[in-house]
Amino acid sequence: MWGFGRGEPAASGSGSAAPEAIGGILRLQRWLASRITPAAAPGGLFWRAEAGHRWLAYAGGLSLIALITVLGLLLKHRVAATNVALFYLLAVVISALQWGRGPALVSCIAGVLAFDYFLIPPAMSFAISDVSNLITALSMLIVGLLISTFAGEARERAETARRSEESTAAIYAFSQALVSCSNVDGIAESAGRHIVETFTWPALVAVPGEAGLLARFRSPEFPDSAHERAAAEWVFRHEEPAGYGTGTWAQVKGYYLPLRTAWGVRGVLGVVISEADRCVAARRHLLEVFASRTALALGRAVMEEVSRQTEVLRETDKMQKALLNSISHNLRTPLATVTGALQTLLQDSAVLDEATRTELLTNAEEQAVRLNRLVGNLLDMSRLQAGAVRVKREPCDIQDVVGAALEQLGEAARNRQIVLDLPPRQVLVPLDFVLISQVLVNLVDNALKYAPPNQPVEIRVRERSGEVEIAVLDYGSGIPEHDLNQIFDPFYRGQFAARAGGSGLGLSICRGFVEAHGGRIWAERRMPTGTVLAFAIPAGARREQAETAENE
Amino acid sequence: MSEQGPRVLVIDDERPIRRLLRSVLSAHGYAVHEAATGGEALQQVRIVRPDLIILDLGLPDVDGIEVARSLRRWVQIPIIALSVRESESDKISMLDAGADDYLTKPFGAGELLARIRAALRRVSRGEEGPVLSAGELRVDLSRREVRAAERSVQLTPTEYELLKVLISNSGKVLTHRQLVDEVWGGLHYEDALHLLRVNISNLRHKLEAGAGRFRYIVTEPGVGYRLRAADISSSGSAAS
Repeated sequence: MWGFGRGEPAASGSGSAAPEAIGGILRLQRWLASRITPAAAPGGLFWRAEAGHRWLAYAGGLSLIALITVLGLLLKHRVAATNVALFYLLAVVISALQWGRGPALVSCIAGVLAFDYFLIPPAMSFAISDVSNLITALSMLIVGLLISTFAGEARERAETARRSEESTAAIYAFSQALVSCSNVDGIAESAGRHIVETFTWPALVAVPGEAGLLARFRSPEFPDSAHERAAAEWVFRHEEPAGYGTGTWAQVKGYYLPLRTAWGVRGVLGVVISEADRCVAARRHLLEVFASRTALALGRAVMEEVSRQTEVLRETDKMQKALLNSISHNLRTPLATVTGALQTLLQDSAVLDEATRTELLTNAEEQAVRLNRLVGNLLDMSRLQAGAVRVKREPCDIQDVVGAALEQLGEAARNRQIVLDLPPRQVLVPLDFVLISQVLVNLVDNALKYAPPNQPVEIRVRERSGEVEIAVLDYGSGIPEHDLNQIFDPFYRGQFAARAGGSGLGLSICRGFVEAHGGRIWAERRMPTGTVLAFAIPAGARREQAETAENE
Repeated sequence: MSEQGPRVLVIDDERPIRRLLRSVLSAHGYAVHEAATGGEALQQVRIVRPDLIILDLGLPDVDGIEVARSLRRWVQIPIIALSVRESESDKISMLDAGADDYLTKPFGAGELLARIRAALRRVSRGEEGPVLSAGELRVDLSRREVRAAERSVQLTPTEYELLKVLISNSGKVLTHRQLVDEVWGGLHYEDALHLLRVNISNLRHKLEAGAGRFRYIVTEPGVGYRLRAADISSSGSAAS
């Protein structure tokens, strides 16, 4: 039973039944929409998924027309045909808003034809006998066409707005991701990942390396042929897009864009555009925006790098000034003593007594030794700075290292009390014997210089988890807390350093040598008085080796 | 006076060094002859027939190592090499090429004289004597007996072999490779190097009084070991 009966007037009948019918139509429409809106298309943007389901839109419009025709046929005797025409127009409006102009036009024409064929007498014929029906059909056609056009345009505008909103969101997310990257590699990686996610195209981000372009990001599917590489290089050199779909290098699979920054082209972005997207201009446009954002981020990274290098240069400059000061002071002082002593002995030998002569000679000899040590330090320092220190790791007995260091210190060590606290058994550590014994010489020398002569200096060796720690302890006046971290800087000189004749190089050389071993070096205050200068060197590798050997 | 003493040929291109060596050595009774280049040196060796050669590593015409090698082909004169600090590998090549000893510039005169004495003594003594000694260390080759400071020391066969090589060359630096070849000839070098370290460590434990201070077996960092002859102090103390 259909509710339109019950003797109620048709007008009021349609008033109560229409919302129900419309509700049904809207539900259908929602279902259809769910098949073609972006939310339902996993991993892609809306127009991509839509392209695949275009026929659904036409089917939707036609099924609405079919539905109305069936209703019209059922109600043929209660409702005037002209009223049904309005429902056809409603179907056209829905089609236009929902699926755009094409489906709306098809709905309109199908509606007029169905109206003419089924509902206007004579039924089952396209002939129209009544003039008023002809007018109805014609107005329906005209109104339908107009609605299709306007509503379709409105829908396209809305669609465009939605697309640009989504593009904006994608661009925003992209920019956000790039902001958090500080270096070129991070930017390339992040940009590449985002482009793959957004476009679902294989992508490549290449930046200039020492030998040509280097791919910092490459999807596994991105083609890696000599041609592709040559195309990317061409884009890098000519600063113009090239590759698939362009006039240059059109035979390759990838489409390449230069990443232009204020400092010239700093990279190349390549993508393989999927079949379905090859004609969609909006996608290319979005890709260009992504490329320019990437370039912007690269430019920023380059700027940061430039300012960092400037800072390094400034530091180096400062360092060189300090070096020159140190050299001129530290070389000239002992030279002056030696020269002065020798000239005095040559010219005034006759008037000098034996004790004075001995004193002059002793003094000259001491200063010559100091000069020799300084030259050694300068050589070590320049080797470190030039990166020319090669660590020749060999398993060495720590006791042997300590013994050799004491041997090198010679008289200075023999005349003072040096307490040794060494492991009772042989401890083999992979290290460079020459470098580490030099570290120990410098540390002990430092302690002997700054500690009171009547107090002992202690050398303590401890084995810890995976490392060997060697400490030199003294009972000197100690280093102020705020200087503890600085004493290993080149040319740092505590307030007593000048008095003791230090060059400010010894400890920084220690740090250089220890760090070259992958170890660490530090200073601590000692309670109640004194200093601990200690370093630790990893000892793990060697032991593992020994164990594997045993297991075999 | 110098005509009577042992003849020393000084090969160094630096005139100040030659002058210094001439003064020091003449004062101690050596007859000093000089050569400034490798070519000149080979000539001088033929003419002078020196008892000892002091050879600088950095010569202008030929590499000092080459000079040592070509000298070794036809004479057994002890060679003491002079080098700068930075060149451990040069020192090793020099010793492997046949030099007996080396000194690092700058060196003390006392040190130089002690090294010269030790080198000349090794030559005159040969390696035949049944009892070898260095300071308080005595090795009786015929009875395989080792005494350190009048105390009898028990050594494993390898330790004894190692000590014998060291004491036969007392005062002379032996490179790691020379020691490995003498004691573990035929073994893979890296493996033997490890054995060498362990045995040196054990020898020291048995011979020396305390850890960390070694009276007899001296480490030459990066080069090898030396058994300290009685009157040789360390190589590091520049002067005394």
